[in-house]
Amino acid sequence: MKGLHWTIAIVGLALGVLLAMQFKLTTEINKTEPVQRTQLVANQVNGLKNDRELLQGEVNSLRSSLDEISAGPDDAELKEQLDRARILAGVTELRGPGVEVTLNDSNIALKPGENPNLYVLHDEDVLRVLNEIRAAGAEAISLNGERILASTEVRCIGPTIVLNKDKRLAPPFVITAIGDPNTLESSIKMKGGVAEILQFWGIQVGVKKMNQVTVPAYSGGLKFDYAKAAG
Amino acid sequence: MNRPVYISVIIVTFLLGLMITFQFRTNSNTTGIVPTERYQALTIEKKNVETDIADLEEEVADLTAKIDESRKGRTEAAVVLEGELDKIMLYAGLTPLVGPGVEVLLEKSSESLGSAGFYNIRDEDLLKVINDLLGAGAEAVSINDQRIITTSEVRQAGNHININLTKLSPPYLIKAIGNPDTLKSSLEIKGGLAEYLAASGTAVNIRQSGNIQVPAYSGPLRFDYAKHV
Repeated sequence: MKGLHWTIAIVGLALGVLLAMQFKLTTEINKTEPVQRTQLVANQVNGLKNDRELLQGEVNSLRSSLDEISAGPDDAELKEQLDRARILAGVTELRGPGVEVTLNDSNIALKPGENPNLYVLHDEDVLRVLNEIRAAGAEAISLNGERILASTEVRCIGPTIVLNKDKRLAPPFVITAIGDPNTLESSIKMKGGVAEILQFWGIQVGVKKMNQVTVPAYSGGLKFDYAKAAG
Repeated sequence: MNRPVYISVIIVTFLLGLMITFQFRTNSNTTGIVPTERYQALTIEKKNVETDIADLEEEVADLTAKIDESRKGRTEAAVVLEGELDKIMLYAGLTPLVGPGVEVLLEKSSESLGSAGFYNIRDEDLLKVINDLLGAGAEAVSINDQRIITTSEVRQAGNHININLTKLSPPYLIKAIGNPDTLKSSLEIKGGLAEYLAASGTAVNIRQSGNIQVPAYSGPLRFDYAKHV
C-alpha cells in the first residue's frame, strides 16, 4: 500500500514539472522576435485604420458641405449630374430596396478521399454571383460592408476573401445590392442559375428581399497613378 | 497481484500528463496571444492603409480648398462644382482615360477553330481576366470598347457576350491601364489565366503599351432605386 502512495506522488511531481515547463515555454514563445514583430505591426495597422476612418469621416462631411454651395441657375442640373456620378463612383452611402444574398461554405460532411476544395466558396463563385446581380440591374453593391467599385477585385486568400486591395473578409459572405428586389432575387434563384449550381456543391445560398438596404461608401482613397483623362 | 496495477497507473498518468501538456501548448498558440495574421500580410496591409491615408489627406485638402474658393462668389462656386463633377466622373468611369498598360487579345486558337462550341470564349473567362487585371492594380478596363464600371455585367448570350447591355462578338480585345509589367505578369504567372486559356483552346496575346486608351461608359445613367442617405 505504501508503494502505491509513493508512485502516485512521483508521477504527480513529474506531471507538475512538465506542466510548469510547458507553461514557461509557451509564454516565452510570445516574447520571441517574430511574434513581437508581428504584434507590433498588427498594432500599427489598427492605429492606421483608425486614422483612415477619421479621415474618411472628414471627407464625407466636406462633401456634404460642398453640396450646400449654390452656384446660381445651373445648380440643380449640376448637382443631379454630381449625384449620379457619385453613385457610380461609390463615394457616398446609398439606401433603397434590394436583396441580401448570403453565401457560406458547404455543410456537406466530406467522405474520406474527397477533395475538400470542391466544397468551399471560391473567389470565382463570388464573382459569378456579383455578375448575376449586376445583370439583374443592381445599382449599388457591397460585400460584407465593403462597397464594390469598378476597380474592385475579389481574391481568395486561404479561407478569406480580399477585395479593394486590403479589405479581408471572412465567411459568411453577405452581398447587399440595391435594385428591384424581385428581379434581383430571381436572377439568383432561377432554374439552372447560380444558386442551383453552387447548391450542388453544398454551398449555402440564401436570398432575402428587403424593403430597405444600406450600401456604405467606399472607405479609402481614390487616386489614379497611371490613368489620365484623355484629351 | 498489485505490481502490474502500479505500473499501469504510472503509464496511464504519464501519458495523461503528456497529453495535457501537448494540448496546452497547441491551445496557447492559437488563442489571441499570437495574432493569426502573419507578418507578411500585415506589412502589405500597412502599406496599403498608408496609401489610403495619403490619398484621403489629399482629398481633404482638395475639398477644403474648393469650399474656400466657392465662398468668393457665384462664378467661383460654379467652377468649383464643375471641378468636383469632373473628378468624380473620372472615378465613376464616365471620362475616357489614357495611360500605360496592356492590351489582351483573346481569340480562338487555330487548333480549336474547327471544333464545336465547347472551346468558345465564355463570359466566365472574361470575368476572370478582368478580375486578375484589377487585382494587379488596373485603374480602368474596357472590353471591345465597353468600359467596365461598377454595374457592368459580363454575360453569355449564345455565341456572343453582353457587356453593359451591348452585344460583343469575338475576338475580345481587353484594354487595361496600370503598371504594364504587373498587369502582364498577373496573367502570365505559372498556373495563371494565360496558361489555362491556352490549354482550353484560346489564343492569348498580351501587348504592353505606353499609350492605352480606355473609352468612357456611354450607356444610360438611370438610378431608380438607390437614393443618397
